[in-house]
Amino acid sequence: MRRAAVLVLLVLAAVVLQAAVVARLPLPGAAPDLVLAVVVAVGLVAGSRTSVATGFAAGLLVDLSADAALGRTALALLLAGYLAGLLEDDAGGVVVPAVTGAVAAAGALLVQAVTGVLVDDPRASGTALLTALASTVPYCAALTPVVVPPVAALLRRADRRP
Amino acid sequence: MSERPRRLLAVLVLASLTLLALDSREPRPSDPLRTAVDAVLGPVDAAVGGTVGGTVASWSGLADRGEVRRLRQENDRLREELARARGDARRAAGLDALLAAVPAEAVLARVTGAGSGLGARTLEVDAGTRDGVEEGLPVVAAGGLVGRTVRSGPVTSTVLLLDDPSSGVGARLTSTGALGLLRGDGAGRLTWVQVDPGPVEVGDELVTSGSGTYPPDLALGRVVETGTGSGGLTTTAVVEPAVAPVRLELVAVLLPGERGPRATAGPS
Repeated sequence: MRRAAVLVLLVLAAVVLQAAVVARLPLPGAAPDLVLAVVVAVGLVAGSRTSVATGFAAGLLVDLSADAALGRTALALLLAGYLAGLLEDDAGGVVVPAVTGAVAAAGALLVQAVTGVLVDDPRASGTALLTALASTVPYCAALTPVVVPPVAALLRRADRRP
Repeated sequence: MSERPRRLLAVLVLASLTLLALDSREPRPSDPLRTAVDAVLGPVDAAVGGTVGGTVASWSGLADRGEVRRLRQENDRLREELARARGDARRAAGLDALLAAVPAEAVLARVTGAGSGLGARTLEVDAGTRDGVEEGLPVVAAGGLVGRTVRSGPVTSTVLLLDDPSSGVGARLTSTGALGLLRGDGAGRLTWVQVDPGPVEVGDELVTSGSGTYPPDLALGRVVETGTGSGGLTTTAVVEPAVAPVRLELVAVLLPGERGPRATAGPS
């Protein structure tokens, strides 16, 4: 249960930092996605059962605090979490987190683009998707290896003293 | 073990799609929930956005010992103070510029957050219904129009930016007076579709025409690329917005009210 509490705090912190800091960094293109990086890190560290639930919950919170239809980011992030969870045992080093972060970011953006077309969102444009793919994917590739060690340390600490 | 994540995956995918189907009509059933989330996370965003800079600066001096450490801390403190003073001076200058740009009664607000990803292009600001801010009000910065409020909680509001594809604003070309519509492209630029025939040149400025939500003559942006619309019937252009929303600190929400004295003419 300590683990669940740590995950809830982790998700809240990621959502707040994303809106208040990361989305406002003066970087070219679209912003990095800290919430996605955290969900991918949880998947790599704790496996897909945990990361699917974490991705769903984090996505709902993002949908509510951003102006997106409820469920859209949730779907993208839970699939990203599932994908990362499949690679649970190979989380060491930099390469696996970086590649998983990039693939998960691309997958999440494509899922959001498809659901955008389904719900007739006027924002579902090719330009927006290409800008996001060209910038968010490399940002997430760089961000995920940085996020994995602290997430691993937090979850390990949560498990040590039950 | 491998069966359970797959079942959980299926259940949550179905849950997401169901929520998506339920929540994609207007008005959205989730709107009260959104206001509640904003009311809780808005102030946290504001606190985090405001303190992160200073905290990072003061942490960096803690690694050393003794005299060096004391001197470094003092140095950091002075540097932080200087940075804060410079920030204050910059904010004061920004405030002056903003006040000069505000055409009517307005509420000043700090930008506390931004939307990201493929979602709506939005900013969070720290003024809400308690300050008289409601939905559908124009938001301006020193450089010109930023967007309009789309949701207001008690202490925070969400501002839909001009470059969101669902934003449309009636505009006028200052060089020829031609009218048209300016739409966002979702990627930081605007598309100008001119209704009146006439030339558009790179470098031409655009202002609000005064129809609908927005007061007239607010700066919108500058033409950076010209083209012809589908079928060659309309003139189109790519427009760089006058305000870069990412670096904004202060904005003003224009309150509804009298639109200023109207000039009248007639025999006296």
